[in-house]
Amino acid sequence: MTSGLSSPQLGRAAAAAAPFALALAIGALVLAATGHEPATVYRLMLEEAFGGERRIAATLTEATPLLLTGLAAAIAFRAGVFNVGAEGCFYLGGIVAAIAGYALPSWPGVALIPLALLSASLIGGAWLVAPGLLRAKLGVDEVVTTLMLNFIAIDLTSWLVDGPLLARGSANSATPQIVAAAELPRLLPPTTLNLGFVISLALVIAYGGWSRFSAGGFESRLVGLNPRFSRAVGIELPRVVLRAMIASGVVGGLAGGIHTLGLVHRFVAGFSPGYGFTGIAIALLARNSAVGVAVAAVLFGALSSAGANIQLFSDVPIEIVEILQGAVMIFAVAQLGFGRARLRAAT
Amino acid sequence: MINLFLHAALLTTTPILLAAIGGFVNRMGGLVNLGLESMMLAGALVGVEVSAATGSALLATFAAAAVGAIVALLMSLVVTRLRANEIIVGLGFTVAVAGLVRFILKSAYGASGTYNPPGVVMLPRLDVPPLESVPVLGALSGLDPLTWLAWALVPAVAFAIARTRWGLRLRATGAAEATVRSVGLQPLAIRDGSTVFAGALSGLAGAHLSIGIVGLFNEGITGGRGFIALAAFYFGRTSAARTAFGALLFGVFDAAQIRLQGRGVPSEIVQTLPYVIVIVVLTGLGFADRRAMRGRFF
Repeated sequence: MTSGLSSPQLGRAAAAAAPFALALAIGALVLAATGHEPATVYRLMLEEAFGGERRIAATLTEATPLLLTGLAAAIAFRAGVFNVGAEGCFYLGGIVAAIAGYALPSWPGVALIPLALLSASLIGGAWLVAPGLLRAKLGVDEVVTTLMLNFIAIDLTSWLVDGPLLARGSANSATPQIVAAAELPRLLPPTTLNLGFVISLALVIAYGGWSRFSAGGFESRLVGLNPRFSRAVGIELPRVVLRAMIASGVVGGLAGGIHTLGLVHRFVAGFSPGYGFTGIAIALLARNSAVGVAVAAVLFGALSSAGANIQLFSDVPIEIVEILQGAVMIFAVAQLGFGRARLRAAT
Repeated sequence: MINLFLHAALLTTTPILLAAIGGFVNRMGGLVNLGLESMMLAGALVGVEVSAATGSALLATFAAAAVGAIVALLMSLVVTRLRANEIIVGLGFTVAVAGLVRFILKSAYGASGTYNPPGVVMLPRLDVPPLESVPVLGALSGLDPLTWLAWALVPAVAFAIARTRWGLRLRATGAAEATVRSVGLQPLAIRDGSTVFAGALSGLAGAHLSIGIVGLFNEGITGGRGFIALAAFYFGRTSAARTAFGALLFGVFDAAQIRLQGRGVPSEIVQTLPYVIVIVVLTGLGFADRRAMRGRFF
C-alpha cells in the first residue's frame, strides 16, 4: 500500500496525478487505434489550452462551472454525504437565473445580478432538502435519490423551455435572452472570461478556510471520517448531514446561475454537458481539498477548451475529452497502490 | 386499439426489463450497477454493425451480448479488484463509453450522431395468428424473440436465486462476503460473474433498441433506459417479479408518453414518473424501516 516515497506529500501528489496519467494512456490507445498520433494530439491540446492569454482565458472560462460543481461535491463528500445531484441543481439554478434575468428588464444590474444568483442558489439548496432529510432522518440512500432528482430536474426544465417559457419566435428550446444589465461583466474582452470565475474561485478559497479553520468544517470532516465517533462525542449527525446536503445544493444552483449570467445569457435545453458529474470527479481527485478542487477544475477546463479547438483544427473528434473525463473518474476511485483508501464505500 | 397499445408497451418494456433483470442479479451479488446504460449503448452499436456486416440478426444479438459482457467485466474488475467505488465507476463508464461510441462513429464511420449502414437485418417478429383477433392477448403476436426471452428470464432468475446452489452463493456474496470466503469460494469472482450477466443482458437490451425497433444506431438511442432499469431494480428490491413489474410499469409510461405527444400532455413530465416513483418508494421503505433504523444511524 505504501508508495515507497519518503515524503508523504510526494506520495499524495503521485496519487492525485496517477488517475490523470492512466486516463491519458487510455486516451492514447484510443487515438493510436483510430490512426492518430497521440503525442502530437496531446501537444496540440496543451498548446490550445495554455498557449497564450486568450487560450488561458478560454480554459478559465471552461473551468468556471467546474470550480463550483467540484466544490458542491466536495462539501457533501467531506461530510460523508454521497450527493451526486449537483447536475440537477445546475439546471434549476440556470433556468431560475435566466427567468430573473429576462423578466425584470427595468432593474439595475447591481440589484438584478445578486437577485438572480441568490434565487439560483436557493432553488439548488431547496431541491436537495428532501434527499437530505430522507438520508438524515430515515437513512434513505442519497445516491439513488439525488441521481433520480437529476433526471427529474433535467426533464422539468426541458419541459419549461419547450412550452411555458419558450422564447417567442424561437425554434430552439430556449428562454428569451437575459437583459444586458444582468450579464456578468467580462474580465478580458473579447474573451468570454467573466466575473463568474472570480466569484467561483473566491468561494473555493472560502471553503478552504472554512474547512481548515472553523468548528463547522472540523465537525463535517469528523462526521465524514467516522460517524460513530462523531455521535459519541455529541455531534448531531442529522444536522451535519442535512447542512452538507443543502450547502452542496446551494453551490450547485449558484454554478448554474453563474453559467447563465456569465456565459450562455439564456437557458437552453441541454444546458450542461455533465458539469455536475465532472464535479464529482474533480472532488474525488482533489480529495475534497480546496487547492485540489481549483487545480483539478482548471485541468478539466483545459481538457474541454482544448477539445473544442482540436476538433476545429484537426480531425480528432471532441469526444476524446469525454473519454478522458470518464477514465479519470474511474481511476480517481480505484485503489492504485498509492497511499490509503480515498473514499469509503458509499453504500 | 388496446392490443396496439399493449403491444407497444411490451416492446418499450423489453430493453428496460432485460437491463433491470441484469441489474437485479448484479445487486443481489453485491454490486449496484450504474453502468448499465453504457453496456446498452455498446450493445446497440455493435448490434447494428454486426447485423449489417453479416446479415444475421442472431450473430448480431450474440455480439451485442458479448460486448456488453466485456464492458461489464472491465467495470467489475475495477470495482472488485481495485476496490473502487461502484457508483463513481458506473458513472465514469457511462461518460467514457458514450464518448468512445461517438468518437468511433465520427472517426471510423464518419457519422455524426446517427449510424445507418446498409443491409441491417432486423430481429424477426414471431407472429401467433390465432391470437391476433383476441383482445389483450393479441398484443402477444408479433413480438421479437428478445421480448420473449426477457419475460422467460423473470421466473427463471427468480427460481435460480431462490432454489439453486448458484443462487444461494450469489445471495451469500451480496449479504455476507466473508462467509462465502470462509467456505472456500471466491466472492469477488462470483460478483464479477453477476456483473458480466448484467452486461450481457444490457447488451441484448441495446440490440433490441437498435435492431429490434429502429434498425439504425443513434447516439441517444438508449435515452437513459439504463437508469430507468436502475429505478426498476430499486423498485423491485429483492424480488425478480417486483423488478419485472417495475420495468413493465415504466415501459407502459414510455409507450404512453410516445402516444400522448402532441395531445396536451407534456412528454417530459411523463418521463419523470419512473424517477419520482422510485423516490416515493424509497421514502415509503424508509418510513417502514424507521423502527429498525432507530439507534443505528449509519
